[in-house]
Amino acid sequence: MRALRKKNIGTPVIAVTGGKGGTGKSTVAVNLAAGLSSSGLRVMLVDVDVDGPSCAMLLGVELGAGEEVKTFLPVINEKKCVGCRKCVEVCPEHALIGLQGETPRLFEELCSGCRACQIVCEHLAVEESGKTIGTIYTKSSDGITLIVGELRPTEPRSPLMARATVLRAMSELKNGGYDLAIFDTSPGVHNAVAQPLWVSDRALAVTEPTPLGVHDLRFVLDLAKEIGLPVEIILNKADIPGGLKDELLTTARERGVRIIAEIPFDREVLHSYMVGAPAVKKAPESLAGRALKYLVSSVDKMLKGGEI
Amino acid sequence: MKEIVVASGKGGVGKTTVAASLAVFLNSQGAKVFTADADVDAPDLLLTLGGGRTVLSIEVEASRKAEVDDRKCTGCGKCLNACPFGAMVEASDGKATVVALMCEGCGVCGLICPAGAIEVKKAQTGVITVEETRYGFMCATGKLRLGEHNSGHLVASIRNIARRKAQDMGSDVIVIDAAPGIGCPVIASITGADYVIAVTEPTPAAKRNLERLSSVVRHFGVPAGVVINMSGYSGDFEIALKEWVKRELGFQVLGEVPVDHEVVKALVHMMPVVSFNPDAEASRSLMSIAERVRREVL
Repeated sequence: MRALRKKNIGTPVIAVTGGKGGTGKSTVAVNLAAGLSSSGLRVMLVDVDVDGPSCAMLLGVELGAGEEVKTFLPVINEKKCVGCRKCVEVCPEHALIGLQGETPRLFEELCSGCRACQIVCEHLAVEESGKTIGTIYTKSSDGITLIVGELRPTEPRSPLMARATVLRAMSELKNGGYDLAIFDTSPGVHNAVAQPLWVSDRALAVTEPTPLGVHDLRFVLDLAKEIGLPVEIILNKADIPGGLKDELLTTARERGVRIIAEIPFDREVLHSYMVGAPAVKKAPESLAGRALKYLVSSVDKMLKGGEI
Repeated sequence: MKEIVVASGKGGVGKTTVAASLAVFLNSQGAKVFTADADVDAPDLLLTLGGGRTVLSIEVEASRKAEVDDRKCTGCGKCLNACPFGAMVEASDGKATVVALMCEGCGVCGLICPAGAIEVKKAQTGVITVEETRYGFMCATGKLRLGEHNSGHLVASIRNIARRKAQDMGSDVIVIDAAPGIGCPVIASITGADYVIAVTEPTPAAKRNLERLSSVVRHFGVPAGVVINMSGYSGDFEIALKEWVKRELGFQVLGEVPVDHEVVKALVHMMPVVSFNPDAEASRSLMSIAERVRREVL
């Protein structure tokens, strides 16, 4: 039976994604947010690249204090534990070890917080404490509400942090007051990318006309297809010398996917990246600035036409 | 035998360019080189080095996934709330179903299911191959199905296979191209390695992500050096960045690679820039960085 994607909220959600790293996902996401916000929309921008969030920097926003995200961490109550080892056997991460008759020992770093140990313990000996896996920041600036999820360094579980960030954004969106939410994802096609895509109405896949850009884009198109998500391509650095634009056009045509914007390589983008001001505002008349403004108006039209 | 990992907090800063150039240079200097691509979501190292003959192909169990028995599921919804990854969702018939892409195979759904309708099964396996590159040395890479990606387990398998094969061949060094970020696959690439080359670019976002990567590298006690790629356009910021790397991170700056059109051309031709155009400014920098790594690590 096919899984249903349900978001339980009315606000349209767009994910900006792209497979390969460094193609310009965050640049597109912040420019879309800034451009749409300038045209009067109430925009939420969610940075779900929990391994390496950068939206705040690209917007020139200081995040201030955040809120820690905790996952379940078991504490075994020695008085209640009978040493049956059920929790040891069930732990998928082998984070608990112990001999029959002993209270198991926990290797905290291995624990994924899944609660399997707590579920199987018949003696209620597995009690709860928390492990901090990251921080979520919320900040309003220049008409944009920015939510940023940041994985704690040395913590390996990006998908859990991505999920916590998505859930936080969704609960905020439920309160209403937004015309649009934009989710900026990690590179790749893994679980931490699937988390935001699952709740999105549309994905914009940012790529570049290099063999690796084309190669990695195919994975994203497969992922979007797998979860039944409409996707469009944004071609960044479209005019790099010797670029494989034709190959990208062919891939897009074969897959029945539209290319909705072409953004030329432009040092103004680099400059706006350095100083933390989106190009649509900092350099609106530059080549890339104009292409980004055109993208903003296309997305605006799609929203108003009820396409998203 | 040494294991050198090329990593970066931010994506797209040039990991594969640095890894491929390092491997080609060390090979040209007579070192016995082996390479491994640990970025299974964007496995671009072999594309850059040019694959050829497959010398080894090993099937690995890539992951475990939950599976719901439709006939037993009563649609109670308990698993939907229990799944830490949100991978259990309601299907159109009201019963539970698994979104394989988000399932990490922990099995909590099965434990909580009162109807015994859920089982965790070995999922589709993936294939890890070792191929001979156009330079003659080998590259281990994963060929996997969608949704079998990004696990530390898988990266560990690639590393193990690379290590075994490299030992058989009497290799001096394994160059590992890591995934972007600081999560599980990166940690699995770094642990137990001999050296990390952290690639960055002179932008505030890349600096922040380098800082995050450096705390992971330090935590696992691996020595590291920094390569500043796309150097030369940010003036004062770059000068300050170099100071900061030395002073605050305590890492050496192995060198800077200037912005160079030849790098883009090499990318388009799917070749390491050091062999596409050895006289390019970027190639000369990459070779001197590689020489420094050879002296200090090998």
